[in-house]
Amino acid sequence: MTTPARPPLGRSLLRLFTVQGSWNYERMQGIGMGVAEQPLIRDLDGNGTAYHAAVARAAHFFNAHPYLCGLAVGATARAEHDGVPPQQVERLRTALCGPLGALGDRLVWAGWLPLTSGLALIGVALGLGLWAIFGFLIVYNIGHVALRWWALRAGWAYGGQVATALREPVLQRAATLSAPAMALVAGVALPLVVHYLTGGFLSWTRAVLAVVAAGGFVLLRWQRARLTGLRFGLVLLALAALIGWFWQ
Amino acid sequence: MSIALYRVDDRLIHGQVVVGWGKPLNARFIVLVDDSVRSSDQEQELYRMGVPPDIEVVFASTAEARQRLSEWERDPRTGILVFGDIDTLAALAANGHGVSRVNVGGLHHRPGRSERLRYVYLSDGEAVKLKALAAQGVEVTAQDVPTTRPVPLEDFT
Repeated sequence: MTTPARPPLGRSLLRLFTVQGSWNYERMQGIGMGVAEQPLIRDLDGNGTAYHAAVARAAHFFNAHPYLCGLAVGATARAEHDGVPPQQVERLRTALCGPLGALGDRLVWAGWLPLTSGLALIGVALGLGLWAIFGFLIVYNIGHVALRWWALRAGWAYGGQVATALREPVLQRAATLSAPAMALVAGVALPLVVHYLTGGFLSWTRAVLAVVAAGGFVLLRWQRARLTGLRFGLVLLALAALIGWFWQ
Repeated sequence: MSIALYRVDDRLIHGQVVVGWGKPLNARFIVLVDDSVRSSDQEQELYRMGVPPDIEVVFASTAEARQRLSEWERDPRTGILVFGDIDTLAALAANGHGVSRVNVGGLHHRPGRSERLRYVYLSDGEAVKLKALAAQGVEVTAQDVPTTRPVPLEDFT
C-alpha cells in the first residue's frame, strides 16, 4: 500500500460540513462519513476492488460529535492506506464513536457554544447590538472550523494510533477548562441579560417574571424526564400571546 | 449493589451508556465484555477515554466474564455490563449464570439484519436466540435510554 504525500484533506474537510445531511437511523452519520472519506481513499491500490470495499466500510453505521468526525475519517483513511485489516478498521471506527461523542459534547455543546453565546449576550446587554452577534458568528466559527481541521489532520497523521492524538495536552486542558469557563461567562451574562430584557417592564411585572422564571426552574428540575426548556418556553410564549390578545 | 444493567449494544461504551444510564443508576464501574477489545490495548484506551475518571472500566473476555460474574454481582458498587452482540450475551447467560434481565440498547444495521425498532436491527437468527433466552427465563426488553419506554421482546422479534 502507498500513502499519498499530499492527501486531499481540504476536499474531505468541505465534505465533512455535510456529514449530518444524510443522517438516518439505519447508518446515522455513516453515509456522510463515506462521502467525506472518499477523496482520501480514491487512490487506493488495486483495480478498484480495494477502493470500493473501503468506501463501503466508510459508509457503515457511525455516530459521534459532528465536529470531530474528521478524526475518524482521517484515521480510517490512513489505516486503509497502511494496509490495516478491514475488520480492524471497522473496530477502530466503532471504538471512536464513544470518545469522540463524549469529547465533542464537553468541548463544544457544554463549552465553546455556551461560552461564546454568553459573551455575545453580554455584548448585547452592554449595548454592542448587532456587532456582538457578528462577533459571535466569527469567533464561534473560527473555533468550530479549527476543531474540524485539527481533527481531520490528526486522524490522518496518526491513523490506527489515533488515541495518541486524543491524549494531546492542549486538548485535555481545553476539555477540562471549557465547562468552568462556560459557567463563569454564564454567571456574568445572566444578571446583565435579565437587567437588559426587563428594562422596559414595570416593577410589578418584573416580580411576575421572577416568579415565572423561578417556577419554571423548579418545574424543569422536577419534571426533567418529560419537560424540556424548549417546551416550557413555547408554552410561556403561547400564554403571553393569549394574555396580550385579551389585554387589548 | 451489583450489576444494575446488562446491556447489548454494538457501540459498546458511549454517551447513552455512560450518561444516559450511568448517571441515574449512579454506576461506579462498567464491564465491557468483548474478546477483541480485551486483546487490544489501543481499543481499550479509546473506550476508557469516553468514561469519566471516577467510573472504573473493566475489560473482560467472554470466558473471564463467566468466571467473574458472581464477583461483580457481589460488588457493593453499582455496575453496568455491556456486550456487543447476542452471541456473547447467550454465552454469558448459558447454564444459569445469573443474568436475569437484559436490555437491548442498540444493535445497528448490518447486511442480513432488518429494522425491528429505530435502534434495533436483528437478523432472524438473532431474534431466535433472544427468544431462546427469554424461554430460559431471562427478561429481555429493548430500551435505548431510561427516559423511553421499555419495549417487550415480543414487540420487536
